[in-house]
Amino acid sequence: MAEITLVAEVRAERGSAASRRLLAAGRIPGVVYGHGDTPVAVAVNARSLRAALSTDAGVNALLDLDVDGERHLAIARELQRHPVRQTVSHVDFQVVRRDEVVSVEVAVNLVGEPLAVSRAGGSVEHLVLATQVRAKPADIPSSLEVDVSEMAIGDTITLGDVALPRGVELEGDAETAVVVAHPPKAIGADGAGEAASPEAASES
Amino acid sequence: MLMPRKVKHRKQHRGRLTGAAKGGQTVDFGDFGIQALEPGWITARQIEAARIAMTRYVRRGGKVWIRVFPDKPVTQKPAETRMGSGKGNPERWVAVVRPGRILFELAGVDEELARGAMERAIQKLPIRARFVVRPGVGSETEVQVQ
Repeated sequence: MAEITLVAEVRAERGSAASRRLLAAGRIPGVVYGHGDTPVAVAVNARSLRAALSTDAGVNALLDLDVDGERHLAIARELQRHPVRQTVSHVDFQVVRRDEVVSVEVAVNLVGEPLAVSRAGGSVEHLVLATQVRAKPADIPSSLEVDVSEMAIGDTITLGDVALPRGVELEGDAETAVVVAHPPKAIGADGAGEAASPEAASES
Repeated sequence: MLMPRKVKHRKQHRGRLTGAAKGGQTVDFGDFGIQALEPGWITARQIEAARIAMTRYVRRGGKVWIRVFPDKPVTQKPAETRMGSGKGNPERWVAVVRPGRILFELAGVDEELARGAMERAIQKLPIRARFVVRPGVGSETEVQVQ
């Protein structure tokens, strides 16, 4: 995986008011930390960050972070977002070494059409949307793909069944169900279907 | 309709509705969701009406998650009652919703059907809301920064 260069400036001003001013000026406040070094508050250009995290490598892209001339190899560890606009309001950069194994969250996406399930009127439930994996920074996949085209009603695909790229190790329980193919459900009298069942009305 | 099985106190203060949602801001279970854009109280009746509108439009297949729960009692004094003599009687249950909160989620249907169903459900709600797609579903891969 080729790293993407991202220029960051050290910021002297801290706090919410200064962060709001930075965001209004098209820059994202952030912090660089890792390997026991003192964390450094930085600011990056919003457009550059967007370009860096929208490549094929995804949000776990390996970044060549230039902090006022000092270069670090880093990954975007956490993105804080605005609850409504979903724009990034803060970014955490974790400094990594090429040879160290890091733990990151990777999205689990479904590919293919489960024809056998849809023909029988059943449905496929995607239970695990993202999972934690361990890999060297250059080996981190943008996402894990699960092929559901061969699924039949009653089948379950677990985390252990997911094909992992070379150098990637699963951190979670391999027995965790990722996708389940359910049989068709009866439609209730009010047309409510399965949602009328009490478990669908989940309190959060 | 949704309501708590038992509560510690029958009557509550109204509270304040400032700021944005602190949690429940992302589509976590299904592929599509309804996101609140305004603060407000959503009654158990409105939640149920929205759920029925959605499931009737989808007809078969699909799974619905309700991500809010009406756990706040709202009291009302009877009509033509003089002021005083204490707080009114609990009349309905509401969910307190702040902007950004995901209200419903849907999975197992295509985007067009989900959009149609959720637009009908939004009509049943007392606040502005929008249809959202979970990142990673379909072709949406770009990171929104500003």
